[in-house]
Amino acid sequence: MEDEAFTDINGKSISLDCQSHSSLCSEFIVSVPKVSIGKVMVYTCCVWLLAYAVFFFTENTAVLSSAIFITLVGMMLHIHFVKVDHESLLVIGSLGIQVSSSYASGRETTTFIEMSKIKDIVINEAIYMHQIIYYLCVLLKEPSDPNAVSSVVPLFQSSKPRLNCLVKVYKSCQEIISKC
Amino acid sequence: MVAKSPSPLPERAIYGFVLFLGSQFGFFLFCLWAYIPEEWLHSIGLTYWPQKYWALAVPIYLLVALVITVVLLFGVNMNNTAPLDSVDIITDVYAQGQRTTDCRKGGIPRLKDVSISEVNKMFYLSPKL
Repeated sequence: MEDEAFTDINGKSISLDCQSHSSLCSEFIVSVPKVSIGKVMVYTCCVWLLAYAVFFFTENTAVLSSAIFITLVGMMLHIHFVKVDHESLLVIGSLGIQVSSSYASGRETTTFIEMSKIKDIVINEAIYMHQIIYYLCVLLKEPSDPNAVSSVVPLFQSSKPRLNCLVKVYKSCQEIISKC
Repeated sequence: MVAKSPSPLPERAIYGFVLFLGSQFGFFLFCLWAYIPEEWLHSIGLTYWPQKYWALAVPIYLLVALVITVVLLFGVNMNNTAPLDSVDIITDVYAQGQRTTDCRKGGIPRLKDVSISEVNKMFYLSPKL
């Protein structure tokens, strides 16, 4: 188990946990810092003060109740659908890889990709908004043409670690994939 | 062709200065038309000229169009950028159809697109120097 000071592309600190279960199987978990209570309080106060200011000028109480409702529903949707707690990659040689991301509300989404469909796991650079980032991706191959790349599955999309973290994961993955 | 370099030449300086004087004079005429009241223009005999509304509208239209163009250009570029999960980032039609066999032994290898797996191995798996 290792834990060094990694950051994501925006500079926020994340943590990487590498577990090598055997020579053919290892798991990488990238954890994002949890929702901070300070930020939540600041957002809530701003929205409610704004609603109170609107109420002060319009004398309409529906503004206040709708502001409360919107903040509650918004926070629930955010922690259930948007806020990722940790993303994990489990590589099992000659079987496949499993990619799962777990959200702050406890929901987990998992995808399994068979080893026969995987061409390679590579670090690629691409333009993302206004910058160029490194990201780890799985290249899938078609059964008809083993040399062509049929599709690309990017990994660690929500946490977006930087290159030092990706190189570690890449090296361990290549050790396992090149054996089978 | 005689002059292909972008260096300063006497002819270019003269063209630039003529354009400068012309544009300043054009602006002076525009200001004259915009400020002189309609009755005076009618009394001289200039009756069929645009309404004074356009003296304000055209500059405002141009500035708003400029601002929207900047935003739109940025937006169109970002829209046309391939997403992170598209195959166009890894390869394209030309790279897949390239000839991989060398024509001659011992010569300079043919220029070709190196596959991303090889590039990754070179960058990240080779021992540090």
